[in-house]
Amino acid sequence: MLLKVKNLHKIYKSGTHALKGVSFEVEEGEFLVVIGLSGSGKSTLLRCINRLIEPTSGIVEFQGKDITHIKGEELRLAKMKIGMVFQQFNLIKRKSVLSNVINGKLGSLGTFESILEKYSDDVYQEAYRCLDTVGITDKAKIRADALSGGQQQRVAIARSLMQNPKLLLADEPVASLDPATSNSVMQYFEKINKDLGTTVICNLHFLSLVRRYATRVIALRAGEIIYEGAPRDIDENWFKTIYGEEAEEVEIR
Amino acid sequence: MIKEPELEIHPQNFIEENKKREHKYNLYKAILLDIFFVFYSILVVQRAIYYKFFLDLRELPFSWNEIILLFIISVIIGASWAISRTSLSCKLFGIAKENKTTKWSVEIFAWFLFDITFIAGWVVTKISIVGLFSSEGLQGAERLFSALFHPQFGIFDDALFAMIETIYIALIATLISIPPTLLISFFTARNLMKENKITFAVYYVLRIILNFVRSIEPLIWAIIFSVWVGIGPFAGMIALLVHTIASNAKLYSEAIESIEEGPVEAISATGANKVQVVWHAVVPQIVLPFLSFTIYRWDINVRMATIIGLVGGGGIGTMLMQYQGLARWREVGLIILMIAFVVWVMDYISAKIREAIY
Ligand SMILES: Nc1ncnc2c1ncn2[C@@H]1O[C@H](COP(=O)(O)OP(=O)(O)OP(=O)(O)O)[C@@H](O)[C@H]1O
Ligand SMILES: [Mg+2]
Repeated sequence: MLLKVKNLHKIYKSGTHALKGVSFEVEEGEFLVVIGLSGSGKSTLLRCINRLIEPTSGIVEFQGKDITHIKGEELRLAKMKIGMVFQQFNLIKRKSVLSNVINGKLGSLGTFESILEKYSDDVYQEAYRCLDTVGITDKAKIRADALSGGQQQRVAIARSLMQNPKLLLADEPVASLDPATSNSVMQYFEKINKDLGTTVICNLHFLSLVRRYATRVIALRAGEIIYEGAPRDIDENWFKTIYGEEAEEVEIR
Repeated sequence: MIKEPELEIHPQNFIEENKKREHKYNLYKAILLDIFFVFYSILVVQRAIYYKFFLDLRELPFSWNEIILLFIISVIIGASWAISRTSLSCKLFGIAKENKTTKWSVEIFAWFLFDITFIAGWVVTKISIVGLFSSEGLQGAERLFSALFHPQFGIFDDALFAMIETIYIALIATLISIPPTLLISFFTARNLMKENKITFAVYYVLRIILNFVRSIEPLIWAIIFSVWVGIGPFAGMIALLVHTIASNAKLYSEAIESIEEGPVEAISATGANKVQVVWHAVVPQIVLPFLSFTIYRWDINVRMATIIGLVGGGGIGTMLMQYQGLARWREVGLIILMIAFVVWVMDYISAKIREAIY
């Protein structure tokens, strides 16, 4: 078992109870998709897993080890094995694509070395390999903010690949992209999942994408898991339970 | 599917409690502020208006006993007023009762405060319309202005040299300020320091020191340093340096506080350490604003360097002071002309550079 989440709660300072006892497990090699309405707690869940925010209570076990209570160096080592991709890409705009990708490696580079930005050839080769995986080696020297949204997201994926992650978290990675680009970016996640064997947990909005890429689905509503199962089992009824009576499915190809 | 677990977490209570606590703090603040308002009114009415204006005393009588007595009276009035929830401060902190008494007392007292402050200001400034338009005064002004508009170009080369000195003093102060300012600004950026108690303490102490240093004008720093290292350009430069570090550290750290959080999160999620996060996610976002602040500061420092010269900080200001002391107004005229020109040019250049880098 790669990841075990046990009875996770998150209460924000504002008093919002965003996660109300979420538990699930993820096997190695899975492509788990989390769905749910806006505000149902999807982002909160991912951020609690890699400790971008602190869960209020509950346990996250990664590779058989509790990572909710570790600190300092130990936490840093755990973070290095978990990659994350964001909706807003979160690249350093003024830096080149290549430096952005190398940023993913910082955890295993020395502080001094990384400040001088004098990296060994191995690091550069690895960065080019990661860029190759997402198919944009030709853009390596260009400033990150000169790329289109889809290209920026691929750079962000390459950055997380630099970590050699065991687990890749993606928080609505295609929500700010158009349908065609969405599909192409999702295909890179699929490729990483299948070829490199990286486990993926991904928040998504569109059910058509979910059906196409997920091996398993979890649905959240108001901070609780209300559905867990295969994507093809989400029928009309489940859809209405998850998204509410008024919702209608839209296709995205 | 998972059942709701029994956990003792009640967000509603949490919010309620916060509200209550805030209410209590606001009341304390209101009490203090009201005491201050009342004490201030009593002192101003007694000292500035009664003693100075009506009795026209030269020496104001002063006794600690009297002040303490007045203070105790203010405490009683102010506190009971605030606790009755009808005072001006209660209104300001949003905890006042909504009724006629509050409305009247707040309105009347606010006007009263404004009026006595204005009257006291008038009395203290010794405003005199007669002085401004007396024929003797007007003649003096005419003589002065006609000299200023006929500048004496005989001292042009000396003045030019002094001007260059001033520009260099400003430039060196600005350049040397950069590394310490950078370093300090990271320790005074709230978003970088808030997580941990120790770093937050450092943040807090540094902020207080900076505020203190900044609140002392460069002119006063120049006086201090001219005693310390002797009158001259060096004293002027250090004075500017100290003030530049303190002011720019604040601007820099505000720039750090307003960066995009996303890239910072993304880099720290990769397992990078704190120094790496700052260097690779924070620094690239602040280089441009920092450059722009620094150039602007050079511009400000040229102006300040002239003023500092007046108290012995070297450069054109010192020269201006000397000729002013000799009442040689035509030379003074030339110097003022040169200062105005340089300030205008610097202003223009720094604006252009700042435009270019954005
Ligand atoms: N930093 C925060 N402080 C306070 N409350 C927050 C914070 N972040 C999220 N919340 C609240 O927690 C709840 C869950 O938010 P979350 O962002 O996890 O939802 P989401 O499912 O990711 O929604 P979306 O699809 O809009 O991204 C919401 O009610 C939100 O308002
Ligand atoms: Mg979200």
